[in-house]
Formats: sequence, structure tokens, C-alpha cells
Amino acid sequence: MENKAPLSPHIQIYKWHISSLVSISHRITGIINIIVITFICLLASLLVLGKSNYEIINLFLSSLIGKFFILGLTWSFSFQILSEIRHLIMDLGYGFELRTTKITGLIVIFGSIILTVAFYLIGKNFF
Amino acid sequence: MTQINLPENSKVKKGKYFKDQTGSKNLRKVSIYRWDPSSGENPRIDTYEVDMDNCPSKVLDILNKIKNEIDPTIAYRRSCAHGVCGSCAMNMNGKNGLACTTPHAEIDGDIDIYPLPHLKVKKDLIGDLDGLYKQYQSIEPWLKSNSKSETKEIIQSKEDRAKLDGAYECIMCACCSTSCPSYWWNGDKYLGPAVLLQAYRWIIDSRDEERELRLKKVADELKLYRCHTILNCTNACPKGLNPAKAIAEIKKMLATANI
Repeated sequence: MENKAPLSPHIQIYKWHISSLVSISHRITGIINIIVITFICLLASLLVLGKSNYEIINLFLSSLIGKFFILGLTWSFSFQILSEIRHLIMDLGYGFELRTTKITGLIVIFGSIILTVAFYLIGKNFF
Repeated sequence: MTQINLPENSKVKKGKYFKDQTGSKNLRKVSIYRWDPSSGENPRIDTYEVDMDNCPSKVLDILNKIKNEIDPTIAYRRSCAHGVCGSCAMNMNGKNGLACTTPHAEIDGDIDIYPLPHLKVKKDLIGDLDGLYKQYQSIEPWLKSNSKSETKEIIQSKEDRAKLDGAYECIMCACCSTSCPSYWWNGDKYLGPAVLLQAYRWIIDSRDEERELRLKKVADELKLYRCHTILNCTNACPKGLNPAKAIAEIKKMLATANI
């Protein structure tokens, strides 16, 4: 008889809104960033081992998958930074009004896309 | 542990369909979560066609109409019907709220009604809130003024009284706590927005003498810091309160106070 009572539906039915979306994306991009930073460190240590390694890395990063990888990474970092700033402001006790959370959430989402494009253009034109 | 999927006995099946008997032209489909503890079956979704020409404005009115005119077996809590008692808290089209203060005109399309999320269901729309009440008790929600006389009035300045605004109005309907993913995954340890808002209410009460002790009590990785500012709580609160801000204020007090 124990635990016969069902659990009412939760994440299956609950409506998403901007703050919850930003919050879950913050976690996902955080995990991505940790994995990718480790990966970048590995690449960097490979470089120390010789020229042939550089060529392999260069080949990977110039390929379509490599470019997607870099662009995705830029977005992930942009999002994380903006969202973290939003959290820092909230930790100071500001920005909890519903309207404000919506606006700051939208700034994070669109800001991350704008930052990604900006980084891409800067990288393309100056390096 | 985080469990995204519902356990096997909680999977929702399709239920009965109640066709309109009144011949009304203004119909609305209302789908309601049903579970009968005596049947031993899985929960199901029953769908009702409701004549909206003869139905007052709130979601609770729809439920009353269904219970009175279509299907008397449906079970739900309700009492005051004016947003004061907090009995009729439920999930309507994906958002928690009080059925008695939620106008059905504000819901687009078909109406889906579920019990408050991630609770053990007792019957139909009635969830088990015992855990939440136990947690509420654990923060000792009463005035502790040990040194002062209990027969004399304890004076409070207008400014100190104003600090309680936005905290004392809570009716403990559990809309916020049951909307919180952190509370879903860690409801046994994390106190949740409703209880933390009340903890805050007693911490900032100028008449209370156990402020430090209260702060120490909630200063716990799981009890307090499971709040990740998802803000489902503030979005759900039918009284327009801001539990997320109260939790942030407690965190701030703990960061700045030397305890």
C-alpha cells in the first residue's frame, strides 16, 4: 500500500518563462564551458609538443565542424558572462521585480547573440 | 535526486470524455487530472465540454459547474473563493495559481487543470502538503520575545512595521514552493520559497529577539542555498509577493552578518 499515491506532473506541464529559461541555460552553458576549457587546455599542451600537432589543430578549427565549435563556444561564453552579471546584481538584492527580471533576461538572451556576432567580426577583421 | 520522468504509477493516461448535454454554442474544453485512490489505476485526464454562456468568470466557477452539473465525483479543495484562504491552489495551463482569482478569459484555448506539481496526490486535484507544513513548523513561525513581558504591548516603529509588508500577506497556498524546480528535486531538505519567505518575515521582525538564531538555522547548503533564482515562485504568487527577493535578502544578511 505504501507509495501508492502518484506524483503529480511537474516539469512535464510547467510553463517556461524567460527567467527559468535563462536559469537552465546558465547551467547548461556552464557545463559546456568547463568541458571546453579542458579541451582547449589539451590543445594548448599539444602545441608544446611540436609543429605537426599545430597543423592538425589548424585543420580541425578551419573545418566546418571546427567553425561551428568556435562559434558555439563564443555564444556559450557570452551567455555565461551576461547571465553571471545578472546573477551578481541579483545577489546584491536588485532586479527581482517581475518586469525587471523579464527585461534583464531578454538582455542576456539577445546580448549573447550580439556579443557572439561582435566577437566573430572582431576576430575576422583584426586577427 | 533529480528525476525528470514520472514514476510508472504516476504516468497519466487518457480518460473519459464528457460531451455537452446543454446544446450550448459557446463551449470550452476543460481537461482535468483525475486519480481515484480506491481504483488502483494510474491517473487519467478527463475532458469536459462546458457551457460558457452560463458560467461566471473564474476557473473555480468552471470546476464548481462541472461538479454541480456534469460530474459530482471530481474532488478539489476550495473555501473562501476570494483569494484569501489559499485552498484552491492548482496548476492551470502550466502555471500555478488560485482557481478563484484566475479568470478563465485569460487562458487561451482549452483549459488544462492539474494538481500542484510534484506532490503526492491524495485524490484528483488534491495534493499532499504535509511536508511543507512540517517545514513551516520547523522555522518556528511565532514571535519570540523572551525578555519582554508577555502581557505588555511591544512597540514597533512605523518603519520597522513597513519591513513586514510583502511578507506577512502570504496565505501559504503553496503555489510558489510547488512551482520551484529546486523544491521538486530537493523538497525533503530545501525549505522552498513559501517557508523561506516566512522565515524572512520573522527574521526582520523588530520585535523578535532570536534573529541570529533564526538566521543560523536557515544558513544551510540545502535549506537555503538551493535557490538558484529561477523565479518561478515570484511568477506564480497569486498575492503578488516576491519570495525570490526575500531569499536573496536572507542570503545577503548571512553574507554581511558576522555569525
